[in-house]
Amino acid sequence: MTSRFFMSDSESESESSEEEIINEQTGISAAAYVFSEDEEDTKRIVRSAKEKRYEELKNIIRSIKNYKKNKDMSNLLSSFEDLCRSYTKTLPVVQKEEGGKTPRFFIRCLAELDEFIQTVWEDKVGRKSMSKNNAKGLTTLRQKYRKYAKEYDTDLAVFRENPDRADSDAEVEKEDQDDESEDENNLMDAATFKKESSVTKSAKKFQKGSDDEEDDDDDSIDWGPDSDDETSSSDGGGGMFPLREKFLKKTTDRDDDDLKRKRKRLPRENKAKDEESDDDGGWEKVKRGSSMPMEKPKMFGKDDEINVNSVHKKLNEIMAARGKKGTDRKEQIELLHELLNVARDNTLGPAILVKVQFNIIMSVYDYNPSVSDPMKVEFWEKVVLKIDELLDMLIADPELSIGEQVTEETESLEKPPLLVRGCVLTIVDRMDEEFIKLLKACDAHSNEYIVSLRDEIRVCAIINKLLKYEEEHGMPSDICRVYLRKIEHLYYKYEPRAAKQTLGELPTTDDTSLAEMDRLCKYIYVRDNTDRLRTRAVLCHIYHMSLHDKWYEARDLMLMAHLQETIHHSDLPTQILYNRTMVQLGLCAFRHGNIKEAHNALLDIQSGGRAKELLAQGLLPQMLECVYLVSAMLIEIPYMAAHEFDARRRMISKSFHHQLKNSERQSLVGPPESMREHVVAASKAMRNGNWKQCRNLLLNDKMNAKVWDLFHEADRVRKMLGGKIQEESLRTYLFTYSHVYDSISLIKLSDMFELPHSTVHAIISKMIINEEIMASLDEPTSCLVMHRTEPSSLQSLSLQLADKLYNLVENNERVLDQKPFFTRGVQGGGYRDRREKGNWGDRRDRRDRDNQNIHRRDRCGRKWYGQEYHVKKRI
Amino acid sequence: MAEYDLTWKLGPFLDRHLVFPLMEFLSVKGVSEFCMELVPIADVTLIFQIYDETDLQRAKLELLSSTNMVDFAMDIHTSLYPDQPATTELPDRRSRVVSELKRLQTETEPIFKIFSDNEVQKQLQASRDHRTLMQFLVDNYDFRPEMLDTLYSFAKFQYECGNYSGAADYLYLHRGLVPGSDKNFLNGLWGKLASEILTQHWENALEDLNRLKEFIEANLTTSPLQALQQRTWLIHWSLFVFFNHPKGRELIIEMFLYQQPYLNALQTMCPHVLRYLATAVVINKNSRRAAMKDLVRVIQQESYTYKDPITEFLAHLYVDFDFDAAQEKLQQCAAVLENDFFLVACQNDFIENARLMIFELFCRIHQCISINMLAEKLNMTPKDAERWIVNLIRQAKLDAKIDSQQGHVVMGTQAVSPYQQLIEKTKTLSFRTQMLSINVEKKATARYSEGPSWAVSS
Repeated sequence: MTSRFFMSDSESESESSEEEIINEQTGISAAAYVFSEDEEDTKRIVRSAKEKRYEELKNIIRSIKNYKKNKDMSNLLSSFEDLCRSYTKTLPVVQKEEGGKTPRFFIRCLAELDEFIQTVWEDKVGRKSMSKNNAKGLTTLRQKYRKYAKEYDTDLAVFRENPDRADSDAEVEKEDQDDESEDENNLMDAATFKKESSVTKSAKKFQKGSDDEEDDDDDSIDWGPDSDDETSSSDGGGGMFPLREKFLKKTTDRDDDDLKRKRKRLPRENKAKDEESDDDGGWEKVKRGSSMPMEKPKMFGKDDEINVNSVHKKLNEIMAARGKKGTDRKEQIELLHELLNVARDNTLGPAILVKVQFNIIMSVYDYNPSVSDPMKVEFWEKVVLKIDELLDMLIADPELSIGEQVTEETESLEKPPLLVRGCVLTIVDRMDEEFIKLLKACDAHSNEYIVSLRDEIRVCAIINKLLKYEEEHGMPSDICRVYLRKIEHLYYKYEPRAAKQTLGELPTTDDTSLAEMDRLCKYIYVRDNTDRLRTRAVLCHIYHMSLHDKWYEARDLMLMAHLQETIHHSDLPTQILYNRTMVQLGLCAFRHGNIKEAHNALLDIQSGGRAKELLAQGLLPQMLECVYLVSAMLIEIPYMAAHEFDARRRMISKSFHHQLKNSERQSLVGPPESMREHVVAASKAMRNGNWKQCRNLLLNDKMNAKVWDLFHEADRVRKMLGGKIQEESLRTYLFTYSHVYDSISLIKLSDMFELPHSTVHAIISKMIINEEIMASLDEPTSCLVMHRTEPSSLQSLSLQLADKLYNLVENNERVLDQKPFFTRGVQGGGYRDRREKGNWGDRRDRRDRDNQNIHRRDRCGRKWYGQEYHVKKRI
Repeated sequence: MAEYDLTWKLGPFLDRHLVFPLMEFLSVKGVSEFCMELVPIADVTLIFQIYDETDLQRAKLELLSSTNMVDFAMDIHTSLYPDQPATTELPDRRSRVVSELKRLQTETEPIFKIFSDNEVQKQLQASRDHRTLMQFLVDNYDFRPEMLDTLYSFAKFQYECGNYSGAADYLYLHRGLVPGSDKNFLNGLWGKLASEILTQHWENALEDLNRLKEFIEANLTTSPLQALQQRTWLIHWSLFVFFNHPKGRELIIEMFLYQQPYLNALQTMCPHVLRYLATAVVINKNSRRAAMKDLVRVIQQESYTYKDPITEFLAHLYVDFDFDAAQEKLQQCAAVLENDFFLVACQNDFIENARLMIFELFCRIHQCISINMLAEKLNMTPKDAERWIVNLIRQAKLDAKIDSQQGHVVMGTQAVSPYQQLIEKTKTLSFRTQMLSINVEKKATARYSEGPSWAVSS
């Protein structure tokens, strides 16, 4: 944890180191500099191997000091081991440069450590109160130290004779620091942070980080993260010195006051820097020129020539470690940042900058080892910034092109046309995915979620930027990908203007989200070669059109896309998108009064009671279920009335029947409370032809609040629903009570159901033509006259027998041909349709026909979604 | 009726030459005001608006500009601008066209010499296979394969000049000799169809139409989009044939409504053709009942993209059962039909059949209708209506009686006895079972022909 927090810091700190160099060279007053904006194009000075090594040592020493303060033995131990290791590495340099004389600062550290160990060891009370880890660490440390210190006995003795002598040369100021300077240091740090766009954030992060570190340190034996901490803190410190030094030299009293004031304003716990304290005088002596190169991270040797090639080589070197087991990912990111700064300082051209920047982003992505866990918000924000910068760079330079198709060999970083290998799309894709993951990780009810959601604007801005870039430079396949990204941020958003356009209140030429979707999707339809992008684009397109009440267009697109057959084979997110689209389509159909289509579209989602799962959505408004149940009611109730005595009645909607049965099972049915109870009560009222009660049960304040008000244009939906209830109640009434009447006056009916005469006439005509009721109209008296031709029981039985025989033959044929059911169904259906129809009440025959109407493929070959399409969607 | 004029919608899918008849028709009808956007198959896109007769002429001139009918163009030019002499451009083109014609004629002369030979004529009649024919020509008459291309370009040139019958003849020869894989084969077919249409040889045109259809369906190399485009063209071109050929009215239903790819093309590319399909279904007495259901479904599906009085009439009648609205639409239909190039001939048929449909539906719904009301719905005087009904009853088309005292038509009882129904139901069963057993037998013998034949005993 700690290291992650630190990582985000390191950027700012390394920047500060770079800035301080600028300072040295340009001679801008430090105070002014601290609060000025970044300046990036100064030259970088190359450091020698000695400096590099020494700095590493000093970093470790600093952390040792830190741990000493905290009495964190286990970390102290590990740092000590690091120190030993690192010094071994430094030995050749020491031999060469110092003539084999052990550097004084190293000895000083050893001596101090020795003192420290002794004091701690003697403090028996304190030792007892130590944690187990610490105690163990202390023991081990003591042993190791003794062993190690033997080699330096003489040096130590010399040192002890004259401990107060300042360390030689440039090292002085690094070793000797007092509390005052520490404060300055902190201040400096804070000031540097301020230059970053997110001052407060990083400051907070830092603080948090060091807190965490503390917590961690107590119990961690694990070495990996520890070393992370050390590097980061030491690195940061390394960058800090010269700045501070520089600063102090030029600082006047006024400046000091000023800074102190600032410090108060930015109070910050900075334990990581504690060890940097020494006395003022120590570093006042230092000459500015000599100290400077020491501080730089050891990227290049002093004499190395910095050019594109060397930077590129270095980059490859760093990146080669990527993905390897022992790689310190954090360090890698830091190194890359350094490299970026080097490249920038030496103005090596945009190509290498882009390349390094690109690799930084990749490394930040790498940082999170788990694929399923979201990145840290801070990291993500950083990536967003970086990507933004990268895109700006790309857009700013038309000479530069970046792409996957560029190979290592064809890459051209120096001469135009500049070619860089890499794919901006991928990193933006990843950024977007991480954003979704972040959102998913939030609690949808929390404030955190809403805050994260605000970042979507930034994501969209980046996607737009990328889109602009790709439209100019990209290949069609890439443009398709960006378009889809954009579409996926667009399709679910309701734009009131687009809705108005649908209603004809805005001219169709206006540029709304609908037009935008249309443009993007059509491009993908034409250019895309992968099925997945197209499928998703189609689904988003349908979703968007459904959302804006473009029912016909949405329906046609759904039918033409033929997705029903293939959607099972696609990946889960696409299947979920398909389900969601289906739901939107269903809701859209409902708003348009196409009850049957609404029912069919929602059936699959609702039937298993797994709606949440199928839609991969935890929060589902009741609206969805309600719309489904009401649609089912409007279809099922008249159907039930028509087939009341039919033995083989088929259920159209299982879940609707389930609700009905539930309520029947109750011994006492109270007034409806929940949405379902309302629908069930309404269904019962409708069954009795009591349309007014049915309507009142569905359209009342309670239901409005729960369901209907969630629709846009709720009034239109309510009005449509009221009308449907009237019509279907009339049909139910006729089915249920027609056998009681000899004739019914149409005028009476239209009074009863408050429907216009023509509507009643049309409904009844349709029923007669479809042979749903056996009756005919008597035009002069405007009556419906029933034809009663009830067959005798023998007759009806023989008719049933004939039906069964018919089925038998059909089954036999099917078995023989072994044709799939649907083909047969089509043929059978066609056959029946053309058959002469008996015109008295053979209800079974009708029923079969009804079923086929639902099941049959449309004549025009557009297969209707819904009933015949039972997807086993596993999510 | 300008709002229902389809010429501008049809134009883009037709050849330039095929647009002439439509425009000719429009100028006869004196369509005073309509907008027209023509994007003929030729790459040139012409967008122009016609407001009166002279504009129509100008449009024709535009159309002619990329054809070789220079004389025709000059005629129109003089009638359009009588005071201006023809621009130099036209005579120039004329001379160019003539010289081109001469050149092609000399090039094709040896070809026609070969084909005028009696022996070759015989071979042409007898031979079915282009390869043997070709071989025969190459062997005996010094025929070179390049000549085929010359022949094709000459035919094209003739067509451009307006000599359609000549073009048809040459293309006939060309088709006989060229393999299906030739680059010009499909173009030749289209050219042949256009020539036949323009020379009004409907029998041949139908033949060509079917050939073209087969070719399009069999050709798997074309992309779906191209196939769709070609089908759309074919749909439009075939209108000429279907509404002129005696059998066309049945064929159009078969092709547009029941051939899946064509129905798809119709729905996606040109829902306006629904008008022609609907008319064809209405005037086709035989298959009306079956086709109507499917047609109505298509009309409903496309109701948001296309509607005109004819489709609305059917929708009102069969979806809403709103007889008054249907009646209103029927009156509009008459005007639309009168101004439609293809449908003008079926106007009376349509009105008569539409009436019959309304009446039929009425009878199915009602048991007693007053003649006055009926007359109103059918847009007839009560006397005419009564006469009409009497005729229907006499022709045994209607089981009804007239109650002349009250002025009612009383329908006969429609109920079918259960016995009849039972017979109806089982009639086909025995036949189907028989077929089944025969099939089983066939399969069994096929499978066990070498083994023991214990499977089937009968």
